[in-house]
Amino acid sequence: MAAAIEFQRVSKVYKRLFSEEKLAAVSDVSFETAPGEVCAFLGPNGAGKTTSISMLMGFFFPTSGEIRVFGLPPGDMKAKEQIGFLPENFAFHKFLTAPKLLRFHLQLAGKDPDKAGNVIPELLAKVKLNGFENLKIGRYSRGMVQRIGIAQALLCNPQLIVLDEPTSGLDPAGRREVLQLLQQLKAEGKTIFLSSHILPEVEQIADHVIIINRGKMVRSGKLQELLASGGQVEILADRVPEELLQGPLRGAMVTTGPQGARILVELARKREAVEALWAAGSDVLAMTPLKSTLEELFLKEVDQPGAAK
Amino acid sequence: MKIRAIAMNTFSGLVRNKIIILFCAGCICILLLMLTSLMAIRAVRSGQNAEGMQMMVLPLIGQMMTFISGFGSLLAAWSAADAVSAEMRSGTVLAVLARPVRRWEFLLGKFLGVQLLMFVFVLIMLGLNYLLAWIGGATIATSPWILIVYPMTRYMIYSALGVLFVTMMHPIIAFCIVLVMMIATGLVAPGSTATFIPDWLKTGLFYILPSSNLLSETRFLTITRATLRAALWSDHVTALVYGLDYALVCFVLAAWIFHSRSLSRD
Repeated sequence: MAAAIEFQRVSKVYKRLFSEEKLAAVSDVSFETAPGEVCAFLGPNGAGKTTSISMLMGFFFPTSGEIRVFGLPPGDMKAKEQIGFLPENFAFHKFLTAPKLLRFHLQLAGKDPDKAGNVIPELLAKVKLNGFENLKIGRYSRGMVQRIGIAQALLCNPQLIVLDEPTSGLDPAGRREVLQLLQQLKAEGKTIFLSSHILPEVEQIADHVIIINRGKMVRSGKLQELLASGGQVEILADRVPEELLQGPLRGAMVTTGPQGARILVELARKREAVEALWAAGSDVLAMTPLKSTLEELFLKEVDQPGAAK
Repeated sequence: MKIRAIAMNTFSGLVRNKIIILFCAGCICILLLMLTSLMAIRAVRSGQNAEGMQMMVLPLIGQMMTFISGFGSLLAAWSAADAVSAEMRSGTVLAVLARPVRRWEFLLGKFLGVQLLMFVFVLIMLGLNYLLAWIGGATIATSPWILIVYPMTRYMIYSALGVLFVTMMHPIIAFCIVLVMMIATGLVAPGSTATFIPDWLKTGLFYILPSSNLLSETRFLTITRATLRAALWSDHVTALVYGLDYALVCFVLAAWIFHSRSLSRD
């Protein structure tokens, strides 16, 4: 089965007209997103996320490399039929109401809105916009615009949903609702390609993570593997003899409190550390593997000196 | 269905466009001012014979219609440029083209939406023609279809030019270029008195620029009943095919440029 999204050594260089000045927005990016997977596409501002998504949607043409959507080139009509897209800072025809906008998008998808049944009212209810059917989009709040954007992305039951900052402009309750909606779509087996800066939310839903910085891919892999890799183990002991800090626990982070000592050691040294503690007469109360959060991983990849330079 | 949906949506957007509403309001004001001279002729009507009246009124109506028609050309160019650029500016083009819509279909939908607006404009213009003639006590001998098809063809040219230029540049610059082309068309037309343009340039520009004089319906309006000579069908067909061909070439060029350009929020 063809990958839902495939980037093969994709680069995009912006060149000014009548000038030699060049800017590499995306450099040699390769990845695959399997059908049914939730892929988080992360990076700081200006990293090349929107450029990559624009190439994926066929709005920009890559300078080199190849992009495939369900095995088809981006912009292909058959590929587009399977995609629901929410651009960043979504804008709509302000003179339309939500039902009229969705009817318009149904027509653009080649479907007759009169034969669509209850699709439009159901979608409006799904994004909590029922009751606002007669209000023009020009009078919507930012959060409402984002909701109608999500509704149009879900129109026509797409197999791939591409969301560029879906929770931007939403309040915490709205963000939670979008997250629940995405979890529901994930359960339905939809492929979701998601760009977001709200990493704790991404962490709750993503299967696969791609981090890009300055146009280059700096990390890619299964979320669980990425979070586990480079992890530490937390050991709780009643005390830590001084001599261990110079010996087997050298380099470990030790904090002591009234309830005992908390020792953070690398995963590979856990056995050595625990055995040393037992041998020194300390009582090991607990040992818990620590996973880094997506935010920590992201900051580590993006902030480290020389990252993707 | 897709093209029709885009066309109808474009039309709905254009009739709400503040710049276009302002444009039309200005046009109506100037028209009302011009109407005063027509009313003056009507006031002294009793002292004139009917044929003399026709000779006075019809050229005046012709001038007024030339003004409205010229305004229509500007409206066509601006509407087309704005219809495309507004989608780029707001970013709505991204949502539309994320659907299974080809770029040329989008552009054609926009173009047809503008033609819908211009058709409404032409119908109003037609009604105005007869109204003005009635006020002036004159008769318009020209067939109504000429007063519809000729301006529509001309507006197609100018809107296609608007679409062509806006695929490459800012709408105001695109509009200004079309405006300059309109002025230049008048200067290089056969029989033009503009002596500051060398003949070789005049000839060159004459072939490149759209010959809107050929597609002017007002030339039929200035013919009085007494001197009316029916134009041959072949003349009409040649003139209209020329106009449609020019518009088609501009549109195909626009579609070709739009097909290969990057789309982002401007």
